[in-house]
Formats: sequence, structure tokens, C-alpha cells
Amino acid sequence: MQSKFLVQYEKREVRNAYAFLTPILIVIFLFILFPVIGTLWKSFYQDTSFLPFEFVGFRNYAQILSDTKFWSALVFTLLFALATVVLEAVFGLIFALLLNESFKGRGIMRAVILIPWAIPTIVSAQIWRLMYDYTYGIINHLLTSLGFIADKVSWMGTTSSAFWALVISDVWKTTPFVVIILLAGLQAIPQDIYKQARVDGAKMFKRFRSITLPLVAPVLLIALIFRTIDAIRIFDLVYVLTGGAPGGTTETLSFIGYNYFTGDIFGMGSAISVITFIVSFMITILYIKLGRFEKNIK
Amino acid sequence: MREKNIKSILIFAGVLFLLAFALSPFIWMMIISLSDRPDFLGNAEVDYIFTLKNYVEILTSRRLHFMDYFKNSLFISIIVSVAVSVIASFAGYAVSRLRFPGRIAVPLFVLAMSMFPQISIVGYLYTIFADLGLLNTYIALILPYIAWTVPIALWINMSYFAQIPVDLDKAALVDGASRTKTLFKVILPIALPGIFSSFLLVFIACFNEFLFAMMLTTDHIAQTIPVGIALFRGTHGEIPWGNMMAASAIASVPLVILTLIFQKYIVQGLSAGSVKG
Amino acid sequence: MKKILIIIALALFSLMSCGRGPQLTFMVGGAPNELAYWEEVLDAFEKETGISVNMIRQASDTEQRKQSILIALRGQRPDPDVMLMDVAWIGQLASSEWLEPLDDYNIDASPFFPSIVNLADTYESQLVGLPVYVDGGLLYYRKDLLEKYGYNKPPAYWSELVEMAKKIQAEERKTNPNFWGYVWQGAQYEGLICNALEVFASAGGGFLGPEGNSIVNSPANVIALQTMVDFINKHKVSPPNTYTDMKEEEVRQMFQNGNALFERNWPYAYGLHRAEDSTVRDKFDTAPLPSFPGGSSASTLGGWHIGISRFSDMKEEAAKLVEFITSYETQKKLAVTLGWNPGRMDVYTNPEVIEANPNIQNLKEIFMGAIPRPTVPYYSQLSVILQRHLNAALAGNVEPNKAIEAAHTEISKVLEEYAK
Repeated sequence: MQSKFLVQYEKREVRNAYAFLTPILIVIFLFILFPVIGTLWKSFYQDTSFLPFEFVGFRNYAQILSDTKFWSALVFTLLFALATVVLEAVFGLIFALLLNESFKGRGIMRAVILIPWAIPTIVSAQIWRLMYDYTYGIINHLLTSLGFIADKVSWMGTTSSAFWALVISDVWKTTPFVVIILLAGLQAIPQDIYKQARVDGAKMFKRFRSITLPLVAPVLLIALIFRTIDAIRIFDLVYVLTGGAPGGTTETLSFIGYNYFTGDIFGMGSAISVITFIVSFMITILYIKLGRFEKNIK
Repeated sequence: MREKNIKSILIFAGVLFLLAFALSPFIWMMIISLSDRPDFLGNAEVDYIFTLKNYVEILTSRRLHFMDYFKNSLFISIIVSVAVSVIASFAGYAVSRLRFPGRIAVPLFVLAMSMFPQISIVGYLYTIFADLGLLNTYIALILPYIAWTVPIALWINMSYFAQIPVDLDKAALVDGASRTKTLFKVILPIALPGIFSSFLLVFIACFNEFLFAMMLTTDHIAQTIPVGIALFRGTHGEIPWGNMMAASAIASVPLVILTLIFQKYIVQGLSAGSVKG
Repeated sequence: MKKILIIIALALFSLMSCGRGPQLTFMVGGAPNELAYWEEVLDAFEKETGISVNMIRQASDTEQRKQSILIALRGQRPDPDVMLMDVAWIGQLASSEWLEPLDDYNIDASPFFPSIVNLADTYESQLVGLPVYVDGGLLYYRKDLLEKYGYNKPPAYWSELVEMAKKIQAEERKTNPNFWGYVWQGAQYEGLICNALEVFASAGGGFLGPEGNSIVNSPANVIALQTMVDFINKHKVSPPNTYTDMKEEEVRQMFQNGNALFERNWPYAYGLHRAEDSTVRDKFDTAPLPSFPGGSSASTLGGWHIGISRFSDMKEEAAKLVEFITSYETQKKLAVTLGWNPGRMDVYTNPEVIEANPNIQNLKEIFMGAIPRPTVPYYSQLSVILQRHLNAALAGNVEPNKAIEAAHTEISKVLEEYAK
């Protein structure tokens, strides 16, 4: 007596599906799942080479959650993610729409927009550091010689200006990622819909709001989900530009994790990794719920 | 009529904005890569001197091993991108068009796996590859890179495939084609924009990845460009700005070329409408 | 599908069976010219002993080097056999019992700086490392400017330094708006701790007491931290980005471009300041750092040491390599080629060395009294805490005494947990 559950699935389709999924699952199981399980497991242990390796239950988590440093880093990370993702969505959409129109040199423009994403992070972080530099930086130089500010500014000197400096650098670097995904998504919208709308008398902005935006929303959501996950993990940029200064106020979650790992406190480091994962996961669920994405997948 | 004018103005302004946005730091980088010394702004006694010596040095100096890093990066990135495109196409097809238990769970699982910080994963990868005696080989980077980039490729493909009408599949199946054939002959040609954009993103991700490359390789036989650039630094933090900027400029060349080639495929007209195939 | 999997499996197998016998590996990081030096050393070693060495090249960032070594040692891997370790974290490796005691291999430590060997390289009375090169904080100063404004020697006290800096900065600013009195490393990173330790110790303070307890909240430390804060905020002789941007290179460049009167930096800057295109080529000199009245000048110990992994599969050969690298000849070469300060004291009197590094005799004195950072295994945790709070004080966000209190509380917690 076949269970009602399986009846709805065609046997051959299921077999096909699993065959198609085997490569991706193998690769992920071997190289990501195994380390992830290890991380999860270690997070319940005191894992330091100069102390006995012992099971400590939730002690690592309790310690992290009762540390004010963790909470301020969490808030900073979330604010950073919010600011960058919003700006990237806006700029990404603008550029994608632009690069969707046909004009001379469009091909080259598409390559140009990819340049920030193409530069290795360690290098672009250093470039921005050089640009923000108090004495030798081009930003200070331009702003003072053009008369916009009276005196040089130490951009990393206060938490809020450092925050925005970081946001600007990150938005510059990762907007192309959003652009590329959106651009592909825009291609899937059939031109006939626009033609019909024009015939019906809809103006340019109305066409954008009622046709383009809803149809590109699912792809935009994917781009934003991945951007958010990356933003929550942000490390290189902060390490190079501020190192956590001033006074540790620009430290992010991964920064704290990094300190634990290099200090050989693997238990705590693993716990922070798990917490980072949980934060990302919860936000992703939020995204999916908001975008009513389940409807799209089904 | 008026709309056309507004559009032209917007496009023009948009292009200018794009150029300014994308290029300003890059231009600054080029300026420094072509200068004798990087500190000419804050120092009255240092002038800007144009020179090609940075480029010459990294292209020809054996000690800097830059061409080795370049070769490694290129090779690894191409293999990973091709592999990921294939794997993610199959998986994306299954998830978007076949009905099976786990249809929603699999993409979510894959997505969830990509949420862990790299630093917690790299230790285990090191153990795996060290045990296999495969440290400092291409494969030590290729396999983890595939695993690391396949989530984004899967989701892009998924969302792209989902927008292609299922009738196309049905038509092909009715004609007796297998699922695999349907994927390659019917779906992929239409889904090219999605495939190419994910190829591009995966390629760039591999080219610029740092942590895995740093930990799993030990010398220029397998080290990639980001690691190589990090190796330019001196023990006390000395940064040879000229060399570093020149190296990044050269490193972005393949990426720009790839984009110029691929962007032709990220165009309209490949979507529903061209049912023939 | 199946075919592809079989091919991949076969490929992996064939790669694995490329039998890797035990290899002597040496893990080191640095800029290309530094790594080139090491390659030469390893070649010479091979010529002399017939043992070939595989060099594992790391980036020069000390944290990254530590990470690679950590991962390898944690996994108890047979490679690397020999490695260079930052003096700041050799204590952690030693307490984790990852370093092979060198006494068993007849390695003689007597030619090396005894204080350094005792303080940094000895764990539970066993020798676990040797200093390959040594660093200590120094004061660089513009002797031409001091002369111009009527001072005939460098400052002995911090207050004197401030006085000189203020006066000269005010005058020099008339022609050079980028001129600063005193540049030092205050960004949130390990270098800040090195700077702080020097000021703290010269006031009679420090981080850990002889019993390993926290003395972070000693009044001397508060005074010292206040002094550092005042450099930036009260006397304004240090630039406002001292606590955000200023690391070794930034500081060195300021001084080298003629934009600073006093500089606190490591000895490596000496050779660079004397370069052909340096603005300050003949105009500077070095001196020990100032102190507070009643205290003595302090210099933080830096540098890199060499050690053998306890899991090495070629310990005898590794010991030979260690001996070679720390031999008189190789150490001399280090000083002459790279301009670094060897760990062996007897090299300091060699005429070639002195010619390449004219300042080296002064340095010897300073190194003999250099102060190490705490060699406890959990030092990096302490450093992170101190970096945060000290940097917050420098930024003017927290009062020095509050910052010190907060640091002390957190450090005490760490001690409770890890100092078992």
C-alpha cells in the first residue's frame, strides 16, 4: 500500500531529480557540510591547545551572549548590512536598468561596471585606505583644494564617519554583483508586455513600477539575500580600513571570531561562527517571507 | 516624443554617473601604478613621476612570481566556473522543474551551508587535503571553490529557470526527449543570460578568493593572485604600492575581457518567444 | 554521470599515490626580497649538508603566519618541521607543548642575548627557540632640527619630548603645514601594545605582575596612558589619525618625508631613512625612548624566533637546519643583506656588519634590556582587550582611568578562565 505522500511523485521524475542533484550534493557534503558539522560540534567544547579538551555544553554561547562586546559588534554588523544592502539595491537597479537600454558603447559600460567587483578585496581595501588617508589621501586633498572643507578630516576617527566610510567602500565594491544578477533578470521580461503597456498609454515610470519592478523582484531578492549573507560576514574591509578602531567600535562579528581563532580558542570561535550562521539564517527566512518567495518556488 | 528625450537625458546622465562611480578609485589605482612613488600628495618634496617600472617589474621579475600566480588563478577559475555551471544547471533544472520530496529543502540547505564564515571551514579543509597529501595543488583549491560558489550559481539558475514556461519541456518530452536532452537543447539556450551571469560571478569569486588560497597552498606552484599580492608586503608592513596596483590592474584584465565577451549573451530576445529548438 | 565520477576518483587516487616521503620543510614569511634571502640560505644549507629543504612561503602579516602555523600544529602534522615565530606568540606555542626542546640536540644558546633567551625562548626550563632576529622600539629624532632650535641632546623624559615637539612644531608649521612633533603607532593592532608597553613600563607600570596577576590598573599605567592621550588631544603634537591609521609604515613615511620631529619605530626604519632618496638622510639619529622621572627607558621586544615542531618527522635534520640558520655566518649575512639585527650577540662586533648597519652598536644596548610582552599562552586575548580600551582612550571616547579599569576587569576575567 503506497503511502499517500509518495503517490504524488512520479517515480521516474524523482530518480531523475536525485541523479541531477548528486554532483552538487556530493561536493557540498564533502567540503562544506563536514566542516560545518565539525564547527557545530566544537562549539560545545573548550578547544584550546593549552587547556584540556573538554565538553562545556552551552558555556561558550553563554559567555558570548553575556559579553557586551558581542552585542555592540552584532548591532554594528546589522546596521552595516542594512546600509550596504539598501544602497546596493538602489544603485544596482539604476545601473541595471541603464545597461538594459540599448545605446552605443553599452558593451563596454557593462565591462566597466564590473571593475570594482573584479579587483581583489585586499587590494580594493588598500586603495580605499590610501584614499581615506589623512595626510596622503586623495579625498582629503580634493575636498580641501575644492574648498568643500576647511581642514583635513580623519575619516576613520569617529565611529559614525568610519561606518559610512566602510559602507561606501563596500557599496562601491559589491554593487556590480547586484547589477549583473539584475541585468540577467531583466532579460527574462518579454518585450511584448512593454509594447502592450505603451499602446495602453502607460508612462515610463508607471511601466517601471507596475511591470519591471514586480517582475524583477524575485531576482533582486536573491541578489540581496546573498549580499546580506556576505555583509554579515564582512571582515577584510574592516581589518584593513579600521582594525576595529576607534576603540573597537567598528568591530564586526567575524572580527571577534577571527580573534578567537588566531588566539587558538577554537571553541569560542566555532560558537561565533554558529551564531553568525543563525543570524544570517533568520534574516534569510525574513527575506523569503517578505518576498513571499515560497509562492515563486512552488 | 518627450519620453524619448527624457530617456536620452537619463541614459546620458546614467552613463556619466556609472563611469564616475566605477572608475574613480580604479583611475586612482592606475595613477599610482604608473607613478614612481605613492606619497606625492602629502609631501611637498615628492613629485608625481610617470613610470612603467612597476608593470615591468611584476611582469618580468621571477622573484615576484606574478606570472605563476596569474597562470594558477586563470586555470583554477576557468575549471571551477565550467564545473559549477554544469553542476548548477543540472541541480537548478531539477529543483525548478521536477517534483520530488526535498524540492524546497535542497536549495535552502545549500543556501544555509554558504552562511558559515570561511574561517571556521578552512581548518577542516586543511586537514582533509593535508591527509590526502594534496596541499599546494590545484585540486586543493578547485574542489572547495566549487563547493563554495555553487550556492549562488544554483540560486541564479533556479530563479532563471523558473521563469521559463514548463510547456517547452512538455513539448520536448512529448517528442521523446530525455530530461537531460531537454535541459541542454531546450532550456539552456533560453537561459543563457542566467548561465553566463552566474559563470561570470563564479569566475570572479574564484579569481579573488583569499583565505582558502592562503591556507591551502604553500608556494608559487599553486598560489593564486590574491595570495601573491599579499606576499608583496614586507615584514613590517611595507607595502610596495606601485607593484600592488600594477598587479591588480593586470589581474583585472582577464575579468574585463571575459565580461566583454559574455555580456553579449546577457541580452533580451532569448526568452520565451523563440520556442523553436 | 557515472563515468565522470569514476574519472574523478581515479584522478584523486593517482594524485595521492605520488608518494610523499618525509620532507624537511621550513615555514617563513616576508616580502619577496626577504624570501629570496631565505632561499639562498636554504641552498647553502643543502650544499653543505646534502639535505634539501622545502620552503613554505607565507604572507608577511604576523596574524596570517600564526594562523597557518596554528592549523598545522593543531593537526599535529609532520610539516612544517622548522618555522619562524613572532616573539609575541612563541609563548602560546610553547605552552601548548608544540615546540621541541632544543637542548637535546646540542644546540648552544650562549652566543645569543641571554635576557631574550631567558624571557622568550625558555619554557619550563627548557630551550624551545632561538632568536633569529631581534627588534626593539627606538626613538628616532631630527638632530638638525634639535640643533636649530637650541637643544643639544634628545629628550630623556616624556615631558621634555612634549616641550621640544610643541615648540619646534609651531615653528616648522610655518613652512610645512604637514609637520608633526611626535609620530608613533596608535592604531588598533598589536603595534599599539608595543608602544603602550614602552610608555607604561617607563612609568613603572606594566601588564602582568611576576605572579601572573593583572597589574593593568596600577596608577603608573593611568599616568602613562594619559600622557599618550595628551600627545594627540591636549598638546596636539601627534596627528589625529594616530589611533586610526598610524602603523609602522605610516609613521616611517611621515618621518622620512620630513614631516616629523620624533618617531617611535623599530630598527628597520634606520636603513630606509638612510636611503638615497630619503629627505632625512643625514639629518637624523636614534636614541632610547624617553621615560618618566624616576623610571627608566623601556623598549618592547620584537623579532622572530626559530623553533622545531614537536610533530616533526625529521627532527635531527631540523636541528641541523636550526644550527645553520643561527650560525655566525648566516646571522652575519642576515645583518648585511637584509639589514636586520641578529639574535647572536657576537655578530654585532663584525666590521662588515657595522659598516652595513652603523647604528648596530647602540641597538645592542637597547636589546639587552628589551622588555617582552607577557609570554603567557592566552596573550593574544589580553592583547585584543588592551587594544580596544587603549585605542578608545586615545580616540578620546573614554577617560584613561576608566579605560584602564575596564581593561583590568576584562583581563582579570580572562586570567580566571585561562590561567589554570
